[in-house]
Amino acid sequence: MKARKVKGLDPDGPLVDNMRRVILVRLDELYGFEDKARDPANVEELHDMRIAAKRLRYLLELSGPLFGAEAKRSAKVVKSLQDVLGEIHDCDELLEVAHARGLDPLAAHTHGRRARLHESFTREWDSLEEDGFRDRLEAALRADVPREEK
Amino acid sequence: MAKARDIPGIEPDATFRDAAASAVETRAEEVFAFRDRVLDTSDIEGVHDMRVATRRLRAVMEIFAVCFPKKQHRRALDQVKELADVLGERRDPDVMLDRLSELAEEVEGLEELQAELRERQAGANERLAAALERFERDRLRERLLVLAAEARAE
Repeated sequence: MKARKVKGLDPDGPLVDNMRRVILVRLDELYGFEDKARDPANVEELHDMRIAAKRLRYLLELSGPLFGAEAKRSAKVVKSLQDVLGEIHDCDELLEVAHARGLDPLAAHTHGRRARLHESFTREWDSLEEDGFRDRLEAALRADVPREEK
Repeated sequence: MAKARDIPGIEPDATFRDAAASAVETRAEEVFAFRDRVLDTSDIEGVHDMRVATRRLRAVMEIFAVCFPKKQHRRALDQVKELADVLGERRDPDVMLDRLSELAEEVEGLEELQAELRERQAGANERLAAALERFERDRLRERLLVLAAEARAE
């Protein structure tokens, strides 16, 4: 999944302003998958959401010193999402192998596991929504950043 | 899994290009710090750590792309992606074998698949070794550090 291009980045501009722009685009990319990811049959979209989560997580980890505790907390939330999507992806890879080799007991076991993981993912996503994750992170990004007095 | 190193100079008023330089330097050094562990098939965490480090390097190269000279950036990024791919090919059988060993008591008929995956692991290890030698001959680490310095100099 190709990352969306971020417009208006200025190499000579303040890091905080540039990072804010990039994070907002990547956050929007992640949320772009929310509807399709709810259907466990959408293998490609779940895989792409995992990639989007990974990109956002690395950004948030980098940005901890810029946007404070909310960025750090958000990085952990996104990591947890990435982890469960990663396990779903591992199941998809194993299912491909199991089906290709006619390993029906392995396929059946992995289907069951994948279904439980997907339920776990939707619970996690719902919890994130109830917690107002996106609004809180966007507010933290837009808040005045304490600058050191020179 | 190894924790990412803190990147010096990530401050609100730092310029984007200074942060770019610092980020690529730090993440590049992290990748190559795992070089010695990565070909040991008895230590699957070495491959995993280098793969995660390579993803983090790729992430900062993409985030800060606008700060680097385009041609050098493109060439280095393509090689970092290639390194990520060959590490992924090496890592994938590890993950599957790990999962299968957990299932072995519950699910029958996995022995042949496990044997195939071990062969795949060995083949992927040879390709990884060849790729690492090629990147060393091509001085990828040094070129990444030069790229970082160019971001500061522009």
